[in-house]
Amino acid sequence: MPRARTLAAALADAAHGAAGYVFLSGTSGSSGREVPYTRVYAASCRVGRALREAGLRRGDLVALILGDAEAFLTTLFGASMSGFVAASISPPASIGDLEHYLALTAFVLRSAGARAIVTTHALVPRLEELRAASGGTEVPGRDGGLWEGRRSLGGTEVPGRDGGLWEGRRSLEGTEVPGRDGGPWEGRRSVGGTEVAGRDGGPWQGRRSCPELELVLAWEDLDAPDHAIDVQPALDDIAFVQFTSGSTSSPKGVMVTHRSLSSNVDAINGPSGIAASATDVAVSWLPLHHDMGLVGMAIAPVYASRPAVLMPPEMFVKRPAEWLRAVSRHRGTVSFAPNFAYDLCVRRVKDRDLEDLDLSCWRVAGCGAEPIHPPTLDAFAAKFSAVGFRETSFLPSYGLAEHVLAATFAPRGRTPRIERVSADDLTARHVAVSACRDVDRDKGSVALVSCGTPLPGHRVEIRAENGGPAPERHVGEIVLAGPSVMRGYYRDEALTAETIRDGWLHTGDLGYVSDGELFVCGRAKDVIIANGRKHHPQDLEWAVDDVVGVRRGRAVAFGSSAPGRADYVVVVVEPSGTVPADTLAGAIRARISAVFGLAVDEVVLVPSGAVARTTSGKVQRAETRRRYERGELA
Amino acid sequence: MSLPAASPIEQGVIDVLKNVSRRPVEPHLEDDLVAHLGFDSLQVLEVVAELEDRFDISIAMDEVSATRTVAQIVARVTTLVEAQSQR
Repeated sequence: MPRARTLAAALADAAHGAAGYVFLSGTSGSSGREVPYTRVYAASCRVGRALREAGLRRGDLVALILGDAEAFLTTLFGASMSGFVAASISPPASIGDLEHYLALTAFVLRSAGARAIVTTHALVPRLEELRAASGGTEVPGRDGGLWEGRRSLGGTEVPGRDGGLWEGRRSLEGTEVPGRDGGPWEGRRSVGGTEVAGRDGGPWQGRRSCPELELVLAWEDLDAPDHAIDVQPALDDIAFVQFTSGSTSSPKGVMVTHRSLSSNVDAINGPSGIAASATDVAVSWLPLHHDMGLVGMAIAPVYASRPAVLMPPEMFVKRPAEWLRAVSRHRGTVSFAPNFAYDLCVRRVKDRDLEDLDLSCWRVAGCGAEPIHPPTLDAFAAKFSAVGFRETSFLPSYGLAEHVLAATFAPRGRTPRIERVSADDLTARHVAVSACRDVDRDKGSVALVSCGTPLPGHRVEIRAENGGPAPERHVGEIVLAGPSVMRGYYRDEALTAETIRDGWLHTGDLGYVSDGELFVCGRAKDVIIANGRKHHPQDLEWAVDDVVGVRRGRAVAFGSSAPGRADYVVVVVEPSGTVPADTLAGAIRARISAVFGLAVDEVVLVPSGAVARTTSGKVQRAETRRRYERGELA
Repeated sequence: MSLPAASPIEQGVIDVLKNVSRRPVEPHLEDDLVAHLGFDSLQVLEVVAELEDRFDISIAMDEVSATRTVAQIVARVTTLVEAQSQR
């Protein structure tokens, strides 16, 4: 195992070589812009200095809201090597709804205690609104009129709970009013007790209250004279914080230290991982605010001093053939993607696109971040073998951001190992029983792909429901231990303690071990996975809660998942009775697509009281899902 | 009374939408891609690529979010096709 290095040290080492990034953009035929690591390093140093000159101090959290890869990476590296805490946050989607994006992002920024945002010129004015609200003066509503939760009617300041600025958390009478999620009051009501509408007609969501936010900076302006970085981060400092999702109730910021980053990346690059060599070229379309895109495809190449060719995610989604064309043209050897990307290539790459492809160079076609479906891998190999793709290049893997990125890898150069097991035994008895081979490959069985063995120096165990170790081929929660386990969730000790117990990271994923290899077969936590991204149901529920015609607090979202197929996204709501069913279902689909870019497979409208709730009024997601799956909600 | 025949561009746009949709749809001019046809962000970009190929035009990314109903798409494609033929 190589010596552990900070991100700054790895980038400085890479800067001695000739390799670097190639940033692709525009339409096919463009060759891309080469930026050697020497220049990436120099630019990152300048950004770090500019951030310091802007007034940031060591340990301050800097939120990165940047879609452009070069801007994102130099800012992340610059902030990280200067001792600031760089946090990656998803930029707004190209077809998204900016108002809801800003509302969600405000929650994340506030809970992270972000002191600065680095974004683009275009977004600065909108993000400034979050900062403006944290000043001490009265700020009129954007519509010119409404009180925004800063002062009482009488004009006297009412301090917030933390003794700081008033955040609309107390009523005039001074009693605490809990927010919808049971958390603090979010400024959603006016002093008179009537609801205050947001600009878009929805309820006020406490959108402009990020009290610690002081600076909103445009990346384009972040420059400073060349200089050598004079503060060197220590291995146990935070390298960056990755927000896995902007959950309204609990945004989860995964703290990755330099030491855990180095442990994971060195294992990925090592002989039991991809076995990085001098001739490797990484090619990726993955978003950089995603662990596989950032760690696997942008940072791992830096630690190996090897080139990385990066293209914008939209370029791939619009024309999946562009990914394969980039591999072919740049002689890519390593490229990872979630299952859905291979599926898009099968469905959307046209025969005429195959003509100029040569994929014989592609030695590691990594697959991870979401359940792997054997038929997808089969179809991809069948379609692209004509242009040199080898099925043995597939490298199924398992991991999660809380473990930096990777936890297990299948052996290289092997056809994916598939187990066909009885679906009933798997879901009802939690045992993986081989399905009879000569029986029809049909409904009674499910095919699972081996995700391989733990990284060297790391441990994987399966825990039974009673918390003890599960026997071979018994399904239980996957738990991980070793140097890649995150330090914790940023500013959330309770969730950290719940997730990491006795040194074991509880992943919330279900799996079993067979002949020493891990098979992932479901999830214990109620996360929805679609197109390689995790969505928290609370976020979806929150987003539809103010759709006209939905009864407040009576929306439930979940993924109805079965082994062997992707999540089926279901939203169950109780209508308030004022909007026709078709219109309401359309409005709910539209809202979720606009905010999350996610297609809802089914909207179920149920009578009043049909959404299961606890005695304290919180929706019961698992119970609602069970009722749905038993057909009781139809 | 008979309905006016759809223009070739309108018919082409509707064909693309039907092909891209994962479930059977009958797109109407006033339909919104997301609210009525249930497209997600991946499918919206797939529609853009298919329209570019079929009509030999180029649609900029920043136009995508502003173009949401079938009628808006038909209008945008018509403008781009006309600009193309005048070159």
